[in-house]
Amino acid sequence: MSLLELKNVYKIYGDLHALDDVNMKIDVGEWVAIMGPSGSGKSTVMNIIGCMDSPTKGQVLLDGVDIASVSSKGLTDIRRDKIGLIFQQFHLINYLTALENVMVAQYYHSMPDEKEALEALDRVGLADRAKHLPSQLSGGEQQRVCVARALINHPELILADEPTGNLDEANEKIVLDLFRQLHDEGTTLIVVTHDAEVGAAAERVITLEYGKVTSENGDTSFGKAARKDVV
Amino acid sequence: MKRSTMYFRMITASIARRKSRMLVALLAVTVGATILAGLVMVYYDMPRQMGEQFLAYGANMIFVPSAESDGMTIEEIQDAIDEIDAGVESDIEYCYESATINDAPIIVTGCDLGKTYATSPYWQIDGELPSAPGEVLVGLEQAEFFSLKVGDTVPIAYLPPDAAAVANGVNLNGEIEGKVFQDFTVSGILDTGGSEEGYFFISAEDMESLIGAELTYDVAELRVNADAQELQEAADKISDAVPGVSPQLVKRITESQTTVLSKLSALVLLVTIITLALIMITVATTMTAVVTERRREIGLRKALGASDGSIMLEFMGEGLLIGFIGGLLGSFLGFGFAYLVSTNVFNSTITFLPALIPITIIVALAVTALACILPVRNATKVDPALVLKGE
Repeated sequence: MSLLELKNVYKIYGDLHALDDVNMKIDVGEWVAIMGPSGSGKSTVMNIIGCMDSPTKGQVLLDGVDIASVSSKGLTDIRRDKIGLIFQQFHLINYLTALENVMVAQYYHSMPDEKEALEALDRVGLADRAKHLPSQLSGGEQQRVCVARALINHPELILADEPTGNLDEANEKIVLDLFRQLHDEGTTLIVVTHDAEVGAAAERVITLEYGKVTSENGDTSFGKAARKDVV
Repeated sequence: MKRSTMYFRMITASIARRKSRMLVALLAVTVGATILAGLVMVYYDMPRQMGEQFLAYGANMIFVPSAESDGMTIEEIQDAIDEIDAGVESDIEYCYESATINDAPIIVTGCDLGKTYATSPYWQIDGELPSAPGEVLVGLEQAEFFSLKVGDTVPIAYLPPDAAAVANGVNLNGEIEGKVFQDFTVSGILDTGGSEEGYFFISAEDMESLIGAELTYDVAELRVNADAQELQEAADKISDAVPGVSPQLVKRITESQTTVLSKLSALVLLVTIITLALIMITVATTMTAVVTERRREIGLRKALGASDGSIMLEFMGEGLLIGFIGGLLGSFLGFGFAYLVSTNVFNSTITFLPALIPITIIVALAVTALACILPVRNATKVDPALVLKGE
């Protein structure tokens, strides 16, 4: 059963086709990596899937609802109820503690629950850092708080934007292990990345180039090739 | 945890943990509220302060005998005073009689000189006020005319009206029968620059012994702590209740008091408006800076599912909390400010008005809310997509 389906999606800025007839289908519980060079349209896809932008043309079905035709208020509701976001820059609120940062997501979703938020932090191994401000946490720890915040409302889809882009190898491994656990539990994961290791961890890699899907299969060879290019 | 608890936790954390930026806004509101509360307190107390100051300029109401009466008895005057609801700060009664010195006519005034002097700060006395029986204070003009100096003795002759009416002859000394002579010692010379310099002032008791009858008064000067309208109402009441007394307002004093008060209140209003405008500008500027500085945070909150209403509520909450704290601090600091103004300008203390605390807080909240509207609306326009790709 598909959770997300993009049908003939275009995003056009003037003469620029950021997305040019993109089609993709992601099933419930799948772990998909979206890869591609800079300017390939990864961010645009991410914005559209994350309900932060609408396509110029085409259909985007999330859980059967066409989000292309939903109002901005409707998109806010979908983001809140169905999507958990993980960012490259973590984006924790700097004057709130780790625990409060997790509770902010609960606050907008339903009811803040300190116990549940602490359990989420415990799950990412940060129960003892709950009262720390982001400035008192390492980059890896901040990203784990971000993961805890993304999963606190049990979203149907976790959308991660370069989740390991600012992490060292040890922390990258911790975050990927967390993704694996979520995947094993049946959470749908979409990870936009440059990183071949991260791409290789996914079940399937969708490759974008010049706004078009150039490969869509279980093969992560693009990731490996890309990694070799970088190295 | 309740949503409201989390909401309060977020806005207090934002203020408490981001001190530097919020301190500027808090300082602006506090200073503004201080000036505001202080001015209102001074303004509220001003009529009383002004009343005390205007006392120095003399009476604002006088009693004269009514058309059908020759003079007012002290009882009539007291009855009239009893009709005045507002506080009577002082009352001085004057009795004027014609007399002669070496056959030259003079006017002798009998009054409570201590009270007169206390309410006439412009009186300059060379020498002293009469303090013992048989002493006289001589107006400068008269002193020069009769070449009198402090310590001189002057014989004042008084011809009672009934004696004058029946006077039918002159005795061997060429004096009119029935004339009463009494020697007075000059205790001081009075310099006022006004009409008082043309009179001789003696105590009421000496006057009584000079004329040999119970005193009736020609004028009573009153200082009433009331405005022009209240004075007029009091005067109307007295006219009806006490037939022997005709009350009149001293327009010069009551009108200048009203004029000064209205000018001062216009000044207070002007300063208040400017102060409120300045608070608004500072708070609006600070909140605009806060919103710009926190665009990423706003984007994140929206990405997490915050509605425009939530974002507005949070930023407005921060603004209002600052308004509340600033208003509360300002109402107390304002009292200190008003106290300083009062002691330095009016030389008197001021009464603390507890009602001013909620009023100052409400005004501070209203002004802060107004100042926050535009920046908070801008906050809702932030695009949530900017949190992606590390923008």
